[in-house]
Amino acid sequence: MKKLISIVLVSVALFGAPRVGDKAVEFNLPSLYDQTRFVKSKSLHGRVILLNLWASWCSGCQEEMPLFVKLQKEYPKKKFEIVLSSIDNEMQGALDFLAEVDKEKILTSLYDGDKKLPKTYRCPGMPSSFLIDKDGKIVKVYVGSLDEQAMKELKEKIKVLLGS
Amino acid sequence: MKTIIIVLIALYMSACSQKLVRVMPYEKEYFAQEKMSLSPIAEQSEQEGHVFLIREASAGGNSSFQGGCGCR
Repeated sequence: MKKLISIVLVSVALFGAPRVGDKAVEFNLPSLYDQTRFVKSKSLHGRVILLNLWASWCSGCQEEMPLFVKLQKEYPKKKFEIVLSSIDNEMQGALDFLAEVDKEKILTSLYDGDKKLPKTYRCPGMPSSFLIDKDGKIVKVYVGSLDEQAMKELKEKIKVLLGS
Repeated sequence: MKTIIIVLIALYMSACSQKLVRVMPYEKEYFAQEKMSLSPIAEQSEQEGHVFLIREASAGGNSSFQGGCGCR
């Protein structure tokens, strides 16, 4: 009986979605702007990351994007980086939207057409954002779009994670 | 005890079956398209509302929000 319970628990742990405290999912995705350039999650270790899973057809994602641009401008990318992962079926929609909102291409934008990340994270809603610390651990999960108030709280968390 | 284990295993296995297809939030791209809305053409629905108003001599009855009885 104990064996059976442990098998069930292990399999749930193996197939369950990553949660707060777990290691963030490793990825290797192409840049939205340059399909030949891939970004590995390992290359981002050592900095605080806000991984945002978004789509151009999602109105909540559109609402929070200008706030992300504003937020990224406040921190150097070597310390804190916002990584967008578009899950659009066709990347043109994402490109068109970002051309208006992020003209300076300040946000790191990746393309996940196969939706590997939301599938692995089992996103309960769109958009979903994951605050990841310097060691690659998930600190906080945000489901739904972030408003000004949530941004303030996020900034406090970033401050703590950066140790400043 | 055996029955409970069998039921638990059956429930566990059924979670992986193809029968329980659920559209996840990240798979709703086609649902988000304008043509998928109930009244995709705003002008057309406005026109239909106007025709309904003339025909039935009551406003608001073309939706489930009001009864169209004119009693309010």
